Amino acid sequence: MWAALRSNSSRFSPYSSLLEQWKLGFPSFNHKLSSSSAISNSTGLLELQEVEKILNDVRADNVKVIPGKKHCDWADFTVIATGRSTWHVRNIAQALIYKVKQKQKGTNRLVLPSVEGQEGGKWIVIDSGKVVIHALDEKAREYYNLEDLWTTDTSEKEPTQDLEKAMVKIRRKNNSKKRAQKV
Amino acid sequence: MIQIEQQRSFIQMRTVLKVVDNSGAKKVMCIQALKGKKGARLGDTIVASVKEAYPNGKVKKGKVVYGVVVRAAMQRGRCDGSEVKFDDNAVVLVDKQGQPIGTRVFGPVPHELRKKKHVKILSLAGHIA
Repeated sequence: MWAALRSNSSRFSPYSSLLEQWKLGFPSFNHKLSSSSAISNSTGLLELQEVEKILNDVRADNVKVIPGKKHCDWADFTVIATGRSTWHVRNIAQALIYKVKQKQKGTNRLVLPSVEGQEGGKWIVIDSGKVVIHALDEKAREYYNLEDLWTTDTSEKEPTQDLEKAMVKIRRKNNSKKRAQKV
Repeated sequence: MIQIEQQRSFIQMRTVLKVVDNSGAKKVMCIQALKGKKGARLGDTIVASVKEAYPNGKVKKGKVVYGVVVRAAMQRGRCDGSEVKFDDNAVVLVDKQGQPIGTRVFGPVPHELRKKKHVKILSLAGHIA
């Protein structure tokens, strides 16, 4: 039930190197690295400090930053922010995109981070390579409970806890009026 | 005995898929692949009808829902030349806007979802293949 990776060249590509290749293969960012190296200093579209500053300006509540661990190791940082209403959530997303546009004022080609959930307004995700920002409203935050998922690092399934106990033969409880069958 | 690998194909109408989130459904049957003439692949969205559901869940049997394919038996090429394929066909139920209905996703999910703009499902997943 697990993925079978078949690669043409090497027999088995280890997970981290595949991840690196995949990160570089993300087409927009590859292009961005080559074109804007002369102009801007950042390698990602958004830096963590800028994101924090914008979230402070927009007055988003309950901002949490989670560094990439084994759960979210495809992004360096994950940021969660709450908006007071759907309009506020959309505003947070727009402010971040505006910041990205401002940073790229000089270049002739704009590379924008991907935005998901724009029409609904309940949960907007902005994916800009190194930093992933989740903007939710109060109800969505409670419902999905993302911090629980990411900060408790233990795997959720507890496989064979008491293996010894499960294998022990226990005498059956006889709740019926009949006597237990004599062997 | 020579074992020939089975040729896997797209997810199309009448394909039964497993549901791997906690939205309450167990099995859904695809009724339409939204993109692609031959069918849906890994990372695509489908319209499906719930065939089997847990008794107290957010979706009931017979409901028409949208879903995102997170595991497909058909191989999908990656940008570095390798291919991914899974042992089963699995789907995560979403609403029309793309918001996942359940709150957790079980089992592995591939990276392809990031490029297909399903970062939400990736963030709910426990293991990323």
